[in-house]
Amino acid sequence: MRVQTLTNYNRRKKRLNFLANFILGIFVIFAVAPIIWMIATSLMTQGQIATGKIGAPNHFENYLEMWKNVNFFQYFKNSIIVCGSTTIVALTIATLAGYAVSRFNFPGAGIFGATVLATQMVPGIMFLLPLYLMFIRIQETLGIRLINTYPGIVIVYSAFFIPFSIWILRGFFASIPIELEEAAIIDGCSKFGAFIKVILPVAKVGLIATGIYIFLMAWDELLFAWVLTTSSEVATIPVGIRLYVGNYQNRYDLLMAAGCVTTLPVLLIFFGLQKQFITGMTAGAVKG
Amino acid sequence: MKHTGKKREVRSPKKKKTGMLERIRQNKLAYCLIAPAIIAMIVIHFIPIVSGIIMSFLKLNQFTLKKFLKAPFIGLDNYEAVLFDANSTIRSGFFDALRNTAIFGLICSILVISIAMLLAVLLNRKFRFRGIARTLLMTPWVVPSFVVGMLWGFMWQQDGIINRILVDILHLFPNKPFWLTGPAVMVAIIIPTIWRQVPFVMLMLLAGLQQIPEEYYEAAKIDGANAWRSFCNVTLPLLRSVLSIQILNGIISYVYSFNIVSMMFGHGAGFPGKYGDLLMTNINRNSFQIWQFGTGAAATVVVMVCVMGLVAIWYRIFQNDLVVDE
Repeated sequence: MRVQTLTNYNRRKKRLNFLANFILGIFVIFAVAPIIWMIATSLMTQGQIATGKIGAPNHFENYLEMWKNVNFFQYFKNSIIVCGSTTIVALTIATLAGYAVSRFNFPGAGIFGATVLATQMVPGIMFLLPLYLMFIRIQETLGIRLINTYPGIVIVYSAFFIPFSIWILRGFFASIPIELEEAAIIDGCSKFGAFIKVILPVAKVGLIATGIYIFLMAWDELLFAWVLTTSSEVATIPVGIRLYVGNYQNRYDLLMAAGCVTTLPVLLIFFGLQKQFITGMTAGAVKG
Repeated sequence: MKHTGKKREVRSPKKKKTGMLERIRQNKLAYCLIAPAIIAMIVIHFIPIVSGIIMSFLKLNQFTLKKFLKAPFIGLDNYEAVLFDANSTIRSGFFDALRNTAIFGLICSILVISIAMLLAVLLNRKFRFRGIARTLLMTPWVVPSFVVGMLWGFMWQQDGIINRILVDILHLFPNKPFWLTGPAVMVAIIIPTIWRQVPFVMLMLLAGLQQIPEEYYEAAKIDGANAWRSFCNVTLPLLRSVLSIQILNGIISYVYSFNIVSMMFGHGAGFPGKYGDLLMTNINRNSFQIWQFGTGAAATVVVMVCVMGLVAIWYRIFQNDLVVDE
């Protein structure tokens, strides 16, 4: 009798496991198929896409053509410069602030934390025209050009991604035991010295995770790029891709090739540092 | 946490003795550390928000924009145009967008959270290809959202791959449906959004699941709970804080969703039509294509107030889950 129920139990468990794997499999296909289709169409001729007669996707010329037709390399370079600088600036400022919020019980800490969260409730579009006008005013009165320059867009992006980064890093720093600094201070470090020498190395994973997050968000930004970077010397990829569409209606082969090239760097960064990203993000964000 | 109690014991008597000024002086370093962030937030957040609100009371269009500091003050006229003027196209467009965003946000929130939860639970078992499955399931999140819009806009074409699968292979419809016009647009914008949003939420829920001690499930099993009961009575309550953050994140990101829709229809140039226009695409078009900046600003303020209302409701429901370790 007992043996009977045990095998029944095992059989049921096996069946459930199979079902679970089957459902997961379907979702994995759903997750990956569009990306595969993007890669496949980027290697097809226009005729193959239009007629639906899918031959071997081996039309690598699309990738050559897309760099030639629109100066995609310039946009790509701009995106790298803008997103890289944004990541460095925002991460530095957010690290300092995140550490302060997690470790010091200073008057105003509560208000500061609440403000940081409240900024996330304001839609980006709210800032767009005021910032544009503000930049124009600055140019007229102080002579500092911010529209269509790297510093202008980097300042805007950094400021936008600072609040959320503070929020993640705050949680991450809070998960580091306070005894570490206390030990360093007993050993003769100053408070700030303890932060630089002891806490930062321990927090490396959280910093990498936040950095990746900032980079991905900046890479993905569209609204401000369209308004603040109109000249091709500083315009980022979304602006460039929009040009394609204007110039080459329905060149899906080229569009998909551009999509692949746009996705590739973030994909490489993400999967290269996936482990750090997951540990860092979850330590910071799960805590809430 | 262990040290929290200790910290409180040491600090609370001190607090009574030292005044506010003394405490500010003691925390000089903290103020230095947050100073750059505060400056950035004042310049790029605070000033623009205030000027945005002021703009919603001005008659601001392509003619007055040049000298925007002298734009005429028109009180609540912009708000009237957005909310009450029954004849204005701005109002009907705004209400279409409001309705669409509400439907879009509600369906996306429900589906994203439930699919992410299902996947997180399934991934939280031990099986052979777990790492690979998680990595592959994460991939859509890394694709930039404007590429997502472009890609799905291409796939939803009438003779695109989706119709080819649905009609030519599976024979689900007699004719190839139009996905990018008419009421079906809602489907066409919801599915890519879910596709891109689920991975991140899944990752967060998975991390939350892994922090639940195995003993809780064993205890539930001993009490005779089946899998569903232990999910409802152990998993869900312990995930409440993670879930609450993801729900808040969802509310904000769906109401302010812009990239996917704006790229999907004519790749940034097109108009999703009245069945697919969302609040942000509507406001963006009002402001930057027909140059009605004043009403655009008023509409933004209205949306912001709605979001604050939603966040207030969210806070009432989840406030007890937010106290973590402080």
